[in-house]
Amino acid sequence: MTEIKQGDIVLQARGITKRYPGLVANDHIDFEIRAGEIHAILGENGAGKTTLMSILFGLTHPDEGEIYVFGKKVNFRSPLDAIDLGIGMVHQARKLISAHTVLENILLGHPHAGAILDMKKTAEEVKQLCDAYGYKIDLNAKVWHLSEGEKQMVEILKALYRGAKILIMDEPTSALAPPETEKLLETIQLMTKNELAIVPFITHKLPIVLSVSQRVTVLRRGKIVARLNTAEATEQSLAMEMIGREVLFNLKRPDVKIGKPILQVENVSIYDDKDYWAARNISFEVREGEIFGIAGVSGNGQQPLAEALAGLRKASAGRVLFQNEDITRLSSLKRWKKGIGYIPSEQRAVGSIGDFSLVENLLMSYYYDDLFVKWGLIDTKKIRQLAQELIKEYNVATPNPDVRARNLSGGNLQKMILARVFSRKPRLIIANLPTQGLDVGAMEFVQNKLLEEKKAGAGILLISEDLDEIMALSDRIAPMYEGEFMDILPGGSAQRETVGALMAGHKQKAVEV
Amino acid sequence: MKLAGYTLKLEKKASFSGLEAILISVVAIAFALFLVGFIFLQAGVNPAEGYKAIFTYAFANSFGVPLTINRAVFILLSSFAFIVPIRAGLWNIGMAGQLYFGALSAFGVAYAFGARVSGAVLSPWVVIPLMILGAIVGGGLIGAIPGVLKGRFNTNEIVVTMMLNFIGYWVVAHMIKEGGPFMGSGGEGEGYKLPVSIQAPVVSGVSILTLAIALILAVLLYVLFTRTRFGYQIRAFGHSPAASRYAGISPFKIAFLTFVIGGALAGLAGYHYFGTVPNLNQIPKNYGDFGDMAFYGIICGLISQGNPLAAIPLALLFGGLTSGGRYVQGKLHLSYGIDYALLGVLMIVLVAFQFFFRYRFVLKKES
Repeated sequence: MTEIKQGDIVLQARGITKRYPGLVANDHIDFEIRAGEIHAILGENGAGKTTLMSILFGLTHPDEGEIYVFGKKVNFRSPLDAIDLGIGMVHQARKLISAHTVLENILLGHPHAGAILDMKKTAEEVKQLCDAYGYKIDLNAKVWHLSEGEKQMVEILKALYRGAKILIMDEPTSALAPPETEKLLETIQLMTKNELAIVPFITHKLPIVLSVSQRVTVLRRGKIVARLNTAEATEQSLAMEMIGREVLFNLKRPDVKIGKPILQVENVSIYDDKDYWAARNISFEVREGEIFGIAGVSGNGQQPLAEALAGLRKASAGRVLFQNEDITRLSSLKRWKKGIGYIPSEQRAVGSIGDFSLVENLLMSYYYDDLFVKWGLIDTKKIRQLAQELIKEYNVATPNPDVRARNLSGGNLQKMILARVFSRKPRLIIANLPTQGLDVGAMEFVQNKLLEEKKAGAGILLISEDLDEIMALSDRIAPMYEGEFMDILPGGSAQRETVGALMAGHKQKAVEV
Repeated sequence: MKLAGYTLKLEKKASFSGLEAILISVVAIAFALFLVGFIFLQAGVNPAEGYKAIFTYAFANSFGVPLTINRAVFILLSSFAFIVPIRAGLWNIGMAGQLYFGALSAFGVAYAFGARVSGAVLSPWVVIPLMILGAIVGGGLIGAIPGVLKGRFNTNEIVVTMMLNFIGYWVVAHMIKEGGPFMGSGGEGEGYKLPVSIQAPVVSGVSILTLAIALILAVLLYVLFTRTRFGYQIRAFGHSPAASRYAGISPFKIAFLTFVIGGALAGLAGYHYFGTVPNLNQIPKNYGDFGDMAFYGIICGLISQGNPLAAIPLALLFGGLTSGGRYVQGKLHLSYGIDYALLGVLMIVLVAFQFFFRYRFVLKKES
């Protein structure tokens, strides 16, 4: 391998095309990545980013097109070929073994890991890498002790130690708290300067793209629609390229009179699946026409709390009142019937049934309604008609209501879930990460729908990792950290930095600000 | 794979039509018969003649046809017992145990009316319906055991139903063998014979009462899954326990009820074969063979993709192959077990061909 200089082309794709039944995921993609640059690949969900990434890492074969690495044409049979050529990948979902130590995870799959493990030598080499990038991590810590940011650091170290010169990162900031994100961005920038680590950077978070990348390639429906130097781009222009139309970043917050309390949570504590405290001593109330925002990085107890309120998990202490009635022990079905609507964070695993048609998915909220089921027999005509109406009203892109839910894109599926829950006219809506993973267009749609429900007088409990979303929508904000509310702040006057620091667990810092 | 400028590729299918499913099943059956042909050749028998003998006996012979139909009804009921829980994603492989208990309860009802006393004359209008009810309750109660354990403690239902098969087998042995209360007058390890007065109606050697019940059940179950609230809940749970729990469907209710219904259906199969088939009307010495035959219900249920109507032709085919296979074994002097070999190969091929429900080969010209 010849010496690589800053600015050399290290990876080139020519005419990459990948077709799936009924869909062209990548349509003649041409681009190149240079040494020392951060190259962002931007696109909505379903634009073809994941496919392209899998092709570059050898997980998927392209139907057409060629890939050149360091000037040589390559044909990846598996990710192992890509790794051997110096391509590393940090997946969105962590691929670490949580019961093992950091060092053991780094060594896993490395050619050094033969029959006899030389832990000492590895430890020293990894330490050198850490020093070079200013990483501080205990190599003997078990992975399950680590925070999300630290786990990601381990993944990066693992790739670098394996000799990666090109690092592909999939949505690298999606699970990180704001301070961790900043730390990551610093490190990445350092890597491109210090050494010839090269980082194509794949995301749909626009501010991040703008702050760190040098070049941006924008994908839309499998095609490249723009190649830009980041310096020339603005948030607006990138968003326009991504979805093909102008986006309004300012939501119109309706002036709604806040009414009576609809949900009262009193000193609720919840255990998680492993019998650890997931949420402790939570008290708050949600009123009619109010959006109560819980800000926090996933895994700090929001999910168990949402499940406990929806009746899917037991609260081990405390009381939950809905419209002044104690519902602490009611089943989830009874809560649905009383007017509590839950939008779960996992659209595909929980919020919908992939093999069911949209009509059958709609039935998930109607099978218990005697207007749609008489003498145990489902009124197929009626539910189908409702499905058609909702598809129109919620602008769901589908040829007909008999399409299986799994064939819908993330945004369209979320619209369908919203349509299903909101059409029951719930008095309380628990929305758990309602815009997670959605593209800008669908995100805007979901947020506006939430505001419409607020206008109609529903109380909304909004759980989100997206600080901007929380700040824009909430009337009151509770930053949540390690199962506790750090504070409850008024939405209008709270400082972004204060909320950010509180959701990362920094109580002192919050006081200084 | 490349061939003279063409590439052969495997593509994942988005969906498949009912017609395609039928076509694939027919091709699979033909392929299985082709494979078993080698066994005939090895035994020195022309496969074409072997098959002709099997199929004419099974489907066009006055002795064979009633046997085929009686067995088909048995396999069909067993497959319903499998289908109801499997639509909820739960595996009932305890049809054998459930049908033993179903048969024991049915014979227990008759026993209570004094049927074991020789020369007893009983009212069929009272006893036969009660025997059917007894079979349903007996099978259903045994089905309730894995249902409760699964629903309450998430115990592995496969293990529980499987173990109950052994319990059922030995309880039957205890009841009918020497000294057992249901012992037959001959005392040769078989159960007592039902008196003529409460033997179920038979036309041309076919037990028409249970045949009618099985066919009506096929339609009812079809309606259950396609049109009713309960069927919807079962299917939703089968596709995604997490999503159905989110929608307010109780996992306990689904596990409990599907296993009770499954057990009851298997119980009916037990009453059908031991209680109504002519020349039997008793729990025979080789009752274990019929427990084994109930396992064809699993294959039947899997191939029919849980569709109770599609299970009917399959049950008929399996019923025909068991009766015809056994017949040719004697007639053509084949070695023991040709019928089992035939069914075994057929099952493996049918299951292997399920692959084509999801994939297809495409021939593409190199560009």
